[in-house]
Amino acid sequence: MRGIIHCLGAVLRTKLAEQMAYRSHFILSVLLLVAGDLVVPFVTLLIYSSGASFPGWSMHEALLIQGVFALAKGIAFPFFFGMVGTTLHHVREGTFDLLLLRPRPVMLMAMLTGFDPDDFGRLFSGAVIFGFALSGMSQPALGAWLQFGLLFIAAIAILCAVSLFLSGMLFRWVGSSRVFDIFDAVTSFGMYPGTIFAKSLQNLLTYVLPVGLIAFVPATALLGRSGLEALWTLVPVSLFLLLGAVYWNRMLKGYTSAGG
Amino acid sequence: MIEVRNLTKTYMTHERGHTLREVARNLIRRPMKEITAVNNLSFTVPQGEMLAFLGPNGAGKSTTLKMLTGVLHPTAGEVRALGLTPWKQRREYVGKIGAVFGQKSQLLWDIPPADAFYMNKAIYGVPDAEYRATLNELVDLLEVGDVMRKPTRQLSLGERMKCEFIMAMLHRPQLVFLDEPTIGLDMIAKENIRGFIRSMNRQGVTFILTTHDLEDVEMLAERVIVINHGTIVFDDALSGLKSRVGNKKSVRLTTETAVPDLQLQGLRIAERLGPLEIGVEIDTDLLPLKNFIREFNDSYGIADMEIQPIPIESIMKELYLENAEARSEAAVSATK
Repeated sequence: MRGIIHCLGAVLRTKLAEQMAYRSHFILSVLLLVAGDLVVPFVTLLIYSSGASFPGWSMHEALLIQGVFALAKGIAFPFFFGMVGTTLHHVREGTFDLLLLRPRPVMLMAMLTGFDPDDFGRLFSGAVIFGFALSGMSQPALGAWLQFGLLFIAAIAILCAVSLFLSGMLFRWVGSSRVFDIFDAVTSFGMYPGTIFAKSLQNLLTYVLPVGLIAFVPATALLGRSGLEALWTLVPVSLFLLLGAVYWNRMLKGYTSAGG
Repeated sequence: MIEVRNLTKTYMTHERGHTLREVARNLIRRPMKEITAVNNLSFTVPQGEMLAFLGPNGAGKSTTLKMLTGVLHPTAGEVRALGLTPWKQRREYVGKIGAVFGQKSQLLWDIPPADAFYMNKAIYGVPDAEYRATLNELVDLLEVGDVMRKPTRQLSLGERMKCEFIMAMLHRPQLVFLDEPTIGLDMIAKENIRGFIRSMNRQGVTFILTTHDLEDVEMLAERVIVINHGTIVFDDALSGLKSRVGNKKSVRLTTETAVPDLQLQGLRIAERLGPLEIGVEIDTDLLPLKNFIREFNDSYGIADMEIQPIPIESIMKELYLENAEARSEAAVSATK
């Protein structure tokens, strides 16, 4: 374990050094990510300031969901989601071989290689939205914070599992850069209160594509709107993550490299 | 050190069309075709050997090397290398081997090699003291001390290749795979790299080299395996490869009058370099050199002459063509 932590530290240091080689690109990239993440909350602000609303949700409550969503992405994207781009690029070029030549788990190597410090910008935008949302509400109780903490870890696990599914797909569907669009299309539902959707879609977004668990369920727990039964969602989330890991390893076996 | 038995790799590939109609049809249905990249290979490599693994493009060299490095799973057959099965005990195995690819860089383009080495140290779990000692030794040997802190993108190809070697050797591998290690390098850089490989080999490191640069083979390899269409067509010492063509010489001649197309036993006109300049191959068992010189001098007047052993390129070409002819004969007899 110490070896993996040391390895993680060295790779993070190197990746940061790589980013610093082009500081203007890094700064611009972070600013654009922050601006991009603020678009939906800004639209939410406009909706509420025009007198409309998401039924049953105050503006700050709706923004809390979007803040949690951005925070979860701010942690999951730098660490896990980069592996999708890494797989896309290295499998197409045949350079994924180089990751297989390292004496570490291939999944870990794919994650480390895809580590992207730019994405920490999302943490900033998430923190701003989250802080703003909390400022307009009564402070949650300690129990709600604890429940939120566990469900937030589950949200990151879901994003990790989604990264594994998307990355795994790319071993077979080589070069399918549309996986990013698939991700955006599916997860965009997670930025809104689940209750605004029809019951059937709510069930789909909770039990089939657990997008609702990324932000809606943790935010509901923080608002004190759900009981301890919400913690049961940790079970399907663990299974989803396990399934993602199994799927990824299975797809890796189909890796055929490229001509030499 | 390496024992390969009946190694086979087949894979399925799509047969893609190139006309508009075929491309449109491929959107709906893509016929699959089975390719046998490696067919029943068996060989052994003792520790400390410098083996060249040669073959024309598409012969199955890279696929074989990928199986030997644990990157690909074979369809059938066994490999034991360093006491392990590469694709089954991959993590343990790759910690003991190194690989240098002339066309795939392991360095990081935007940052200095020193940073990439440090990352590799952590990935391989090399202790600090051992890392420093190995790095100093390799940097001195390859004379790259002054480029260690320059971004990789600013290095010359030769400097970069030297750093690729350091990257591959930092964890002190016992077995190193080299894939076109001198591609694109100038003569001096090539000689430096070859010197480094020889010096590591003297320390007991086993090298398996694939290259199309036959000078690398002549300068480095003790043994040559030639593979074509997935099967071994030659496996012997380098001297064995040369003696395979018998007592042949390559002669470059400048004559006073033009040499016509000749049908002379033991002689083949290999190339016409100018109106009065030709390159010929002579089988000295059939046409002794003194007879050839006398006859040519009497008939065409020799103005200048250079005699050399048959270049290894010609031997390899002959070997590849022989194999291709044998395959086409086999295909014809199979259709009868």
